[in-house]
Amino acid sequence: MEGFYKFLENNSIFIVMIIVLIVWIGIFAYLFNLDKRLKGIEKEIEKEVEEDKNEE
Amino acid sequence: MAWKIFLFILLTFVLIAGISFPIVENPKVWYQFPLIPGLKENAKIIFFHVPSAWLAVIGFLMSTIYSIKYLRKKNLDDDAKSYSAAQLGLIFCILATITGAVWAKFAWGSFWSWDPRQTSIFALLLIYGAWFALRSSIESEDKRATLSAVYSIIAFVTVPFFVFIMPRIMDGLHPGSADDKVTPGGGPIVDFRMNDSMLVIFFLSLIGFTILYYWMWKIGYKSLLYKEKLNKKLIRG
Amino acid sequence: MKPYALFKKDYHSELRTRYAINSLTMFIIVALSVILFSIGNEKVPQNLTGGLLWVVIFFSAMSGLSRAFVSEEERGTSLILHLIAAPTTIFNGKLLFNLILVFLMNIVITILYSALFEEFIIRNFLLFFLTFILSNIGLAIASTIIAAIISKAGAKGTLYPVLSFPILLPLILISVMLTSYSMIGASFADAKMGLAVLVSYDVIMLTVSYMLFDFIWKD
Repeated sequence: MEGFYKFLENNSIFIVMIIVLIVWIGIFAYLFNLDKRLKGIEKEIEKEVEEDKNEE
Repeated sequence: MAWKIFLFILLTFVLIAGISFPIVENPKVWYQFPLIPGLKENAKIIFFHVPSAWLAVIGFLMSTIYSIKYLRKKNLDDDAKSYSAAQLGLIFCILATITGAVWAKFAWGSFWSWDPRQTSIFALLLIYGAWFALRSSIESEDKRATLSAVYSIIAFVTVPFFVFIMPRIMDGLHPGSADDKVTPGGGPIVDFRMNDSMLVIFFLSLIGFTILYYWMWKIGYKSLLYKEKLNKKLIRG
Repeated sequence: MKPYALFKKDYHSELRTRYAINSLTMFIIVALSVILFSIGNEKVPQNLTGGLLWVVIFFSAMSGLSRAFVSEEERGTSLILHLIAAPTTIFNGKLLFNLILVFLMNIVITILYSALFEEFIIRNFLLFFLTFILSNIGLAIASTIIAAIISKAGAKGTLYPVLSFPILLPLILISVMLTSYSMIGASFADAKMGLAVLVSYDVIMLTVSYMLFDFIWKD
């Protein structure tokens, strides 16, 4: 256990970096997901507009 | 599509480089940063604090630009874009105020010292708060868009006072204040004595966060617009 | 002539009810009393008194200046105003009224303040005089345009200081700085930057208000 704590102390900055990267990847994945869903809604709306135009 | 992957790689690199590159006395290799007296390891906060403050102002600028567009054409889409820009600007403003206070704590000793530049980011926060308060107090859509657009323009006119004029002529702790011996009345971006590799990472961070802001803004206003469209469709039946 | 006619109408209705003058005077007295009571027997450091003056001025302005437009909405007379004059004329009339009100109010505040706080001694009187005039003009302009904005919104009372404070903040900061300069007796060379900022603030606010008032006023 001693060696593990010493390792953590000496490399704290990398631990910070890994945590920050995990947060960033999480945020990016969330945004990417939102973007995909928005694209789907956009396509659906365009389809509905097409159908309305065809009805006229 | 491709630019989102590029954004991911860019910001990942910035985060890795900005946090983990060591700070040494005499940088010999490209991945070392110089030692700035008084700051040591904490200098890395500049990679996150300055882009936050920059985006807070950009967010406000974009909100005002779309407000002006709304006043000319009365197209409510512009109001949605303005609102989305302001939401993100508020978030980054809060981040900038907090990171600024943290930096102030270990650079100057206290979390808040009413330095003019610190005061101005707080003033920007107040402007955002006032803008959202004004919006929430008006019911009619058109009136809300018009009045918040007018207030946005009036408030934006005071921003040059806060960013450029006050920090130069008033006494303060940031470099470039009136009582700074080295650079009295210095440039808009504080002269930080960064070496080349620090400058590269800094500008990459600025560009990366700006692209991130653009992406989040797009998602924001698109969802607002689609929600409106779908509501109208549902009402029409 | 029309702005002056508008001003006279407000002036006469003011004299009839004396609502604004009474409530403003009472507010000034109450504000000063609260500060005096809270300080008690302690000494106020001299550099603090300069800033405190502007605190009282700001809050008195917040309590009194929104009446220019809000009273029209409350009494239902704003429709008539729409009909009889162009937007710019209306703004001029209301600005004139607010200017006179601000000057009167601030003269009263400054006299009372310098009487009640002995540490408030001005050495460079001309500098203070210039600061006073320029700041009051800026205060009147900014307060009038914000009053126009909130008269069309809801929650008028609480929203007015919230909206006005960020707009007035550059004015207040520079005025406090210049007041402290005039108290320590600094020369004009030190202060000319601050005075230049005040002048530019006044000009910019006036221009922006004229350009934007049409949008607020038209339905």
